[in-house]
Amino acid sequence: MKVEILFPEVANLYGDLMNPEYLRRSCPDIELIGTSLRDRPLFADEEPSLIYMGSVTEEGITLAVEALTPYRERLAELIDSGRLFLITGNALDIFGEDISADSGWTQQCLGLFPTHAKYKMMDRYNALYVGSFGDMDIVGFKSLFGHSFGSVEPLFRTLRGDGLNENEKGEGIRKNRFMATYVTGPLLILNPPFTKWLLAEMGAADCTLAFEDAAMELYRQRVSQFKDPSTGIVYH
Amino acid sequence: MNKLRYLIAFITAKLSVIALRLTGHPGTNLPGQLALRICPDFLGRIPKPARIIAVTGTNGKTTLTNLLCDLLEQTGEKVVSNRYGSNLASGIVTALLSGCPLPGRQSATVGVIEIDERSAPRVFPRMTPQLLVITNLFRDSIMRNAHPAYIADLLSRYIPASVKLIVNADDLISCRVAPQCEREYFGIGPMPGDVIECVNLINDMRICPVCHGTLRYDYRRYHHIGRAVCTSCGFSSPDCDYAGSEVDFDKMTMRISDKGGSAVYTLLNDSVFNCYNLLCAVAVMRSLGFDHGQISELASRCSIVATRHESIKAGDITLVMQMAKEKNALACSRAFDYVAGREGEKEIVLMMNCLGDVKHWSENVSWLYDCDFEFLARPDIRCIVATGARALDYRLRLLLAGVEEEKIICVEDEMEAVSRLPFVKGDQVYLFYGTDSLVFAQKVRSRIEELAREAAEK
Repeated sequence: MKVEILFPEVANLYGDLMNPEYLRRSCPDIELIGTSLRDRPLFADEEPSLIYMGSVTEEGITLAVEALTPYRERLAELIDSGRLFLITGNALDIFGEDISADSGWTQQCLGLFPTHAKYKMMDRYNALYVGSFGDMDIVGFKSLFGHSFGSVEPLFRTLRGDGLNENEKGEGIRKNRFMATYVTGPLLILNPPFTKWLLAEMGAADCTLAFEDAAMELYRQRVSQFKDPSTGIVYH
Repeated sequence: MNKLRYLIAFITAKLSVIALRLTGHPGTNLPGQLALRICPDFLGRIPKPARIIAVTGTNGKTTLTNLLCDLLEQTGEKVVSNRYGSNLASGIVTALLSGCPLPGRQSATVGVIEIDERSAPRVFPRMTPQLLVITNLFRDSIMRNAHPAYIADLLSRYIPASVKLIVNADDLISCRVAPQCEREYFGIGPMPGDVIECVNLINDMRICPVCHGTLRYDYRRYHHIGRAVCTSCGFSSPDCDYAGSEVDFDKMTMRISDKGGSAVYTLLNDSVFNCYNLLCAVAVMRSLGFDHGQISELASRCSIVATRHESIKAGDITLVMQMAKEKNALACSRAFDYVAGREGEKEIVLMMNCLGDVKHWSENVSWLYDCDFEFLARPDIRCIVATGARALDYRLRLLLAGVEEEKIICVEDEMEAVSRLPFVKGDQVYLFYGTDSLVFAQKVRSRIEELAREAAEK
């Protein structure tokens, strides 16, 4: 099973590269393949079991958009045909229409989803997150320069915290098996039930997660703490 | 009206200093807060010393600020500094106030001012230092500082063009900040232990800043610190104006050379970070016109502040208080690497929990997965006590780092947790604590000393 990691040289913030690494630790059959900005992506010629991209610098967003633009139609085809994607943190914005920041920076993105991101560069949004995915609780963190606006099918239903923006309870983007979310943590380490579901989607339902007992004990503690109404959600 | 506002702010702030002193409070921040509340332009209006040396960057700011103060005070300069206070605008104002007997007079001859790197938009329009040292730029709190390229961009936009920079040639992020400014570079040549490929999780300079091609490192100290060349366009790390070489941790010496000569300096301690701090201090002093002989003699009388690294004999063990800023993966990685390199058996206590976040929210733990806990997976580490609100997070991270499960002791209550240390004769016990737990760490320290003495008596 091949997991393609897009642009690890710039998309490596907030521990997000531990997401694919946790999959590999949990399932030895998984091969991680990093695609650099100047490489031809694996997905251009093959159909990896999972295409992953994590949190990225603002310059990295520009470089990633440049690198992916020649493959935009291929990405659309893979999304429509139900290939598995997991996009975490602000990498979500790369797949939307555009980004505009109050510093004057603007970026046209891939336009695969009708979302518009707005960044406030001196007013970082930091929050806890509690949501649901099917019957699973999802917990994690958000640490972002802004939010996204637009009508999309969400990945998670928000229980506490904000979704794609302050007025939106849906969090992330889902289309077929394309999944993108602002939630970091790393997402897969903080949410072992979701990780098991993802491995099953990749055809590795039999795998036991690395240190599954420790991860589950921590998950239960975090879910309980984050659901507690006395726990603050947005840092200020 | 603005002048009146400044005068009221000055008097109020000065009165608050007296009130704080009478009530036994340190008062390193509040006077500045009051002054800025009354007169938002106070920092721009308060008289400043003839020379201001500012220090910013991710790591080493406080150590370097202390070192520069110690060096300059020995030369007879009257120094104002926020060395004991906040590095935000309020702390800077408080420091400058301490040198002002009257609203229009500054008695200090030199200001050594530590500036929080994210405060550039608030500070630089109102205070222009003659020299600004940027120690390095690494990842810090993701909630506040996001990533180093963001901080580099902020600094570049706000540092006035008249400021002369002293920057780290071995750090391709910070040394390219504010291209509008004249600069001198410091750096340390190849050292034993340097590598080519990055062994750390954080590596924030993987591509050429000019053409985005692949960077090839001639040598790498840690993370992105080292000397690199772009394989596509030929861009390379700059040459050093102040060069460290012949670093010898046995003799505790380093040679520092520049176009005016060279001298062998005594190291502050055996961490690479402090080699950079010493080099940086020497670069500043050389830039101010002191000669190597003078600086070397002055530096030999300096030491680093005990809050960062302190070694205490307790019973049959040596307790090492090791500051490792919470939510700062880089600082913790460096501290872990340093401890891993020490000889002898070790017992570790991890309590770099963010106590502030615990009260109201829950700490964003993603930094744990940028941090090299892998350095702690060593046979000479006897046990690791994970404690505080994030004890279970530490446990999972340690397991993923390759630490054997039987070595991990996980107890939430810190005082109870340290009672689980084995205190084996001859061991070094390392207590890792953050800035948020400075005061609490002293209580835990006392408890460890007490337990160590009891263990020795048995």
